Amino acid sequence: MMNSYLYDGTADGLLSAITWILEEEPDPEKVTLSERKDTLFEEGFTISTDATQAESLFFRLKQHAPDAAHTLYTFMLAEKEGMETSLLHYVSLAFRYGDKVKGYLTHPAVRDIVNVAKKVGRELHRMKGLLRFEKLQDGAYLAKMEPDYNILHPLAYHFSRRLRAQHWFLYDVKRRTAARWNNGSLQFGTIEQFTTPALSEDEKKVQALWQVFFKTIAIPDRKNPRLQKSNMPMKYWKYLVEKQGE
Amino acid sequence: MDTQVKLQILSGAARYDASCASSGSKREGPSCGTGNTSTIGICHSWADDGRCISLLKILLSNDCIYDCAYCVNRSTNPVERASFTAREVIDLTLEFYRRNYIEGLFLSSAVMQSPDHTMERMVRVAEALRTEEQFGGYIHMKIIPGCSSELVRKAGLYADRISVNIELPSQASLQRLAPQKHKHAILEPMALIGREIATSLVERKASRHAPRFAPAGQSTQMIIGASPENDFQILRLSQGLYKKMNLKRVYYSAYVPVTADNRLPALAAPPLLREHRLYQADWLLRFYGFSAEEILSDEAPHLDESFDPKTAWALRHPEFFPVEINRADYATLLRVPGIGVLSAKRIVAARRFSSITPEGLKKIGVVIKRAKYFIICSGRSSEKPDHSPTVIRHRLLLGEGDEATVSALPEQLVLPGLFA
Repeated sequence: MMNSYLYDGTADGLLSAITWILEEEPDPEKVTLSERKDTLFEEGFTISTDATQAESLFFRLKQHAPDAAHTLYTFMLAEKEGMETSLLHYVSLAFRYGDKVKGYLTHPAVRDIVNVAKKVGRELHRMKGLLRFEKLQDGAYLAKMEPDYNILHPLAYHFSRRLRAQHWFLYDVKRRTAARWNNGSLQFGTIEQFTTPALSEDEKKVQALWQVFFKTIAIPDRKNPRLQKSNMPMKYWKYLVEKQGE
Repeated sequence: MDTQVKLQILSGAARYDASCASSGSKREGPSCGTGNTSTIGICHSWADDGRCISLLKILLSNDCIYDCAYCVNRSTNPVERASFTAREVIDLTLEFYRRNYIEGLFLSSAVMQSPDHTMERMVRVAEALRTEEQFGGYIHMKIIPGCSSELVRKAGLYADRISVNIELPSQASLQRLAPQKHKHAILEPMALIGREIATSLVERKASRHAPRFAPAGQSTQMIIGASPENDFQILRLSQGLYKKMNLKRVYYSAYVPVTADNRLPALAAPPLLREHRLYQADWLLRFYGFSAEEILSDEAPHLDESFDPKTAWALRHPEFFPVEINRADYATLLRVPGIGVLSAKRIVAARRFSSITPEGLKKIGVVIKRAKYFIICSGRSSEKPDHSPTVIRHRLLLGEGDEATVSALPEQLVLPGLFA
C-alpha cells in the first residue's frame, strides 16, 4: 500500500515534510502528501514542521539544480492547495535528474508543477508592465494591485533595480501586504488599515497625458478589442490609468 | 501650443510605425538615475488595435519637407503641424517612466529643414536623457535617411536600438511614391550601423568597458500593399537584410490609406492577412531554418492566404513526411506544421526520459490538429498514412467533416485577388 503523509498546511510545513520523506522513504515517488484537515476518515502520518529543514531543502536543491529550485520558489508563490504530492515527486525527480527535470514534461508531476510555476511567472512578467504608480503629495509613489498570485517579493525586487531614485510603495490590496523602497533599502510588511493618501498636484495632469497617448497610438482602421483583451485581461484593468472611465 | 495637443498630434503621426520592441538589451541602470532594460522586453499596455505599447512612441515633429505619397505627414497633406521641444520629450519620458507606463522612448521625426538638422535635434534629446537625466531605460531611435554618418554613430551610442525605414521594397516604388528619398541614402546608414555593431561587439569582448553600439540591434520597416511588389520580392529582400546587414527585425506594416493619391491603390481595408502571412514567413527565415526560395518562387510569388507558409510548404513536400517524433532531429521537427520552436525543444528534451506517445505530445503543447497529418510516434500514427496532400488540405481547412462538403470550398479563399 502507498504510504500517506500529512503536514500542517504551512509552506514551511510542506517543505519540511518533503525533506523528511526524501530522507526516510526508499521510494518517495510512491507516497502521497496532503494537508492535515483533521477529518474523520483522514489517514496518514503527520510530519512536524521545522523551518530550518524547509530552508535547508531549498538551499540543497539550489546547489543541485538551480533551475528547479527557481521553479519551486515560483510554484510556492501560487499558494496552490492540493498539489503537495506532485511537488514531492517533482522535488524528488529534481534531485535525481538535476535541472534536466524541466524537460521531463511527459511526467504528470513535472508537468503540473512546471505549469503552475509558468502561470505565476507569466503574471509576474505581466505585472512588471501593468503596474501603475501614482505620485503622492509627499513626492513618494504608490502602486496598488490585486494579482492572482503572491508576487509582491519578486515584483518589488524588479522595481528596486529600476526605479532606484524614487521613494515608492507597492501594495497588494487582496493580501494586505506591501513593499517599500526608500534610499536604497527594500522592506516588506503588512497593512491593516489602508487609507488612500492624497495625490500630488500634477498627478491628474500626467494621467490625462497618458490617456491621450493611449487613445491616439491605436490605428483606428485596425481596431481589435478581442486581441486587446486577450493580451491584457480585464481583471487587470481596475488599476490601469488608461482604462479608467471607459 | 499645449503639450497635450502636441502629444495628440505627434503620437497620432507616429502610430504607423510598427516597431515597439523593448527587448534585446540588458542594462543595469545608473545607481542614482532612473531605469534599466530587460533582455526579454516588457509590454506595458495594449492599445485599442491590440498592439502592444512598450515605448512612448512619438515624432519630434510632423512638419515635413518631403512629400511621400503614402505618408500621413507628407508636406501637401493638410494636417495640423507641431514640434516638441527637447525638454517636453524628456519630461514626458521621465514622468511616464516613473509611473511605469512605459519601457522607454521611441523617437522618430518628420524631416524638418534637412536630414542633418532633424537628426541632430533627435540625438540631442537622447544625449540629454542619458547624460543629464541619467536615464537608463530603453531608447529606440529612427535614423533620418541622408543624415551624416557622424550623427548615426552618435545615435547608436545613446540608443538601444536604431532603425532606418526602407518603407518601399524597391527602387522603382521609392522613385514613384517617395521621390525625395533615395535607395542609397537608406542602405548606406544601414550598412554603417551593421559595421558599427559588429565592431562594438568585438571591442566589448576585449574590454567590457568599451562603449556599446545599439546593443538591441538594428531593425527596419516596409509598407505592405502601397506598391506592386510581390511577397517573394519582399521576402528575398528581408532575407538579404538578415544575412548581409545582420538586422534584428524587419517589420511589415499593412498600408493604411492616409491620403488620397492616384499613385496609390484604393484599398477597402488594410491588407492585414497579407501582413500576418509575411510575419509568419519572416519567422520561418529567422527561427526555422527556411530560405525565401523554399517558401516562394517566381512561379508562385504570393503567400497562400488559406494556409500559413509552413503548412503550405509541407503540403508541397509530401516526400518529407511523416516525421518520426521520437527520432527526428531538431531541424526536421521544426519543419512539421503545428510544432514550433518551443515544442520542438521540448520534444528533444522529453524523449531523453522516455519515448513520446501521441498523448504526451499533446501535453507538450504541439498543435495536434495540424501536426497529426505529418507525424508518427514510434511507428504509430493517429491518421491513416495514405492521405494525399489534397485530402489533408481540405481537412485542415474544414476539419473532419464528410468529404462531400469539401467541394463546396469557397473559391475566393485561395484567390490572391483580395489585395492585388
